[in-house]
Amino acid sequence: MSSPSHGTPLHTAQNLTVALVGAPNCGKSTIFNALTGLRQKVGNFPGVTVEPKSGAIHIDKTTTRLIDLPGLYSFTPKTPDEELSIAVLHGKHERLPSPDAVVFVMEGTNLEKSLFLYAQYTALNLPTVVVVTMIDSIKANGGVFDDIAMEQALNVPVIGIVGHRGIGLEELKEHISLRGFTNAEPEKNNIPSASVIEEQHEWARNLASEVARVPETDSLTLKLDALFLHPVLGPLIFLAVMMLFFQAIFTWATPVMDSIDTGFAWLQGVVDRFVPAGIVQDFLSRGVIAGVGAVVVFLPQIFILTLFITLLEDFGYLARGAFLVDRFMGIFGLQGRSFIPLLSSFACAIPGIMSARIIASEKDRLTTILIAPLMTCSARLPVYVLLITAFVPATMLGGIFSLQGLVLMGLYALGGISGLIAGKVFKSTMFQGSKLPFLMELPPYRFPTWRSVFLTLFHRTKQFLTSAGTTILVLSIIIWALGAFPRTTTPPSASATEAAASQLEHSALGTIGKTIEPAFAPLGFDWKITIGVLGSFAAREVFVSVMGQVYSVDVSESDENLRTVLKNTISLPTALSILVFYVYALQCMSTIAVMKRETGSWKYPAIAFAYTLVLAYSASLLVFHLAQRW
Amino acid sequence: MNELPIGSTARIITYTQQDSFTERLREFGLIPGTVIRLLRKAPFNGPVEIQYRNSRIVLRPNELAHLRLERIA
Repeated sequence: MSSPSHGTPLHTAQNLTVALVGAPNCGKSTIFNALTGLRQKVGNFPGVTVEPKSGAIHIDKTTTRLIDLPGLYSFTPKTPDEELSIAVLHGKHERLPSPDAVVFVMEGTNLEKSLFLYAQYTALNLPTVVVVTMIDSIKANGGVFDDIAMEQALNVPVIGIVGHRGIGLEELKEHISLRGFTNAEPEKNNIPSASVIEEQHEWARNLASEVARVPETDSLTLKLDALFLHPVLGPLIFLAVMMLFFQAIFTWATPVMDSIDTGFAWLQGVVDRFVPAGIVQDFLSRGVIAGVGAVVVFLPQIFILTLFITLLEDFGYLARGAFLVDRFMGIFGLQGRSFIPLLSSFACAIPGIMSARIIASEKDRLTTILIAPLMTCSARLPVYVLLITAFVPATMLGGIFSLQGLVLMGLYALGGISGLIAGKVFKSTMFQGSKLPFLMELPPYRFPTWRSVFLTLFHRTKQFLTSAGTTILVLSIIIWALGAFPRTTTPPSASATEAAASQLEHSALGTIGKTIEPAFAPLGFDWKITIGVLGSFAAREVFVSVMGQVYSVDVSESDENLRTVLKNTISLPTALSILVFYVYALQCMSTIAVMKRETGSWKYPAIAFAYTLVLAYSASLLVFHLAQRW
Repeated sequence: MNELPIGSTARIITYTQQDSFTERLREFGLIPGTVIRLLRKAPFNGPVEIQYRNSRIVLRPNELAHLRLERIA
């Protein structure tokens, strides 16, 4: 177990797998980001199985694969995250290799917690380097840390690190490239071997007090918590943060979106000018550029949303949010911790469903996973924005809030509240009678490092653009082809618009739409919208590119954009009906795949798909008929 | 615990039961003899925040009830 899996001694091994191990909130991710940078592989792409982040480091002809294992509190697992980390360390994970060595990350400001985990970890007897983070905040608060004393006590290399300033990182890289790991042997330093928690804590506490003097919780955290967790001000600040969140998505992104829009229109113009009119021009302009452009235009909003959630998480506010909303979530049978996966689901249900692993209670976790798709993910945003900007006037209320922003917030609220009610229903039927731990640490506040935030944004943006460049491009082309064939001939007297409309109507796409139309007709959907809704079952944002295509015939003949065209062709009740349908329906293959993987059976994705479809259909039906009468 | 005011300290005497939840409490370092301080209570009988040594955790009142406490100050 202690020798590299390749059968060569550790110090000469060219390729090594190193795991990053540590307690939650110990600063592990900052180190992982600092070491691997852009060379990361995040396993949450559609079709790729969910696993810990891994990345490669190349130094002096050596290659090291670094695996960022989820944080754990002990080696007696209580959550799926902890089970995963322990399985990898024991070499029992089905896909990940058994690590040859470990970088054990300790939180400098809470050494006892980290040393306790270390005491249990030494039973594995793995080659180890210990990294102590945040030594700057120990010293800033008047404390001291003696890395040499700790090295002597543990008999393994100890490196003090300040992740965001890069202090100690070179030394760590050197240890990794020179394979300077030493086996962490329990017997050498009297670590209690049996799983006697009290003794391990005593050992950890004694050692921690020998090597470091750390002031109690830093004063900044105490001051900030007095404000953020204040019984009255706390919830008000929380609401203000959420308001800012939704307003920012709408107002800050608009200028950038307009320029992206203009860019793609320019590109279409170029193609139309230089490529001779005919099937090739049509393919490039209406198939490729219109389809992809319609989705890429939403990048600014996804960017702002991801930025917001990353900042809140890195700062430590999400844990405070969980504390503040726990009582409220309790009304729906859930707990404060569900708030984190549910909030992440506003970016994308996939990371949301995965982060439900932090919930120890299996019943709470499954409930959270089942309702996560009702949180408004960023893929719905393109649909919402398109319809809202087409149908809701851009007036400002009281000079601060845009009416469009408020309607958007209303849609988010509708999804969120419906999700919570669904949660209550699940908890009082399928998942009855769990009384499970909310117990959670409140980590000290930390200023997010620009590097970490940048890397998260980079990977998320890359993921979005990759999907726009692959899945959505392919779907755009398929939908274009279905609309362009079979070719129809129109009398020469017909205008170009009439000819194009007739082509679409008699194409394969038109036929499919019309065949299925009766099923959606009660909701006010015509065959064009039906095509969009069907396309959305692959991924929701496809709706916009389908609309761009089915209506591009009109767009090309005038200066009007898609919004104006929609406003002139779709009635308000239909628009509302579409919006409500998208609030509820689980139209995302990737979410279904991840749900299956995270719950280990097709049962839960099937339940989620069925109940959201029933909700979507009935709510749209209701809204359409109410709006018509009103 | 519900009768303990904010800012008061108490010592953990024992656990009222043994299960995986109390095991987690022990792993968190909440072992008998530990002195904890009640920092904050969320409104409407919501979660409470406690401090002990260098850690701060939040938990629900019914979870805290797994600890038998003796008030010090």
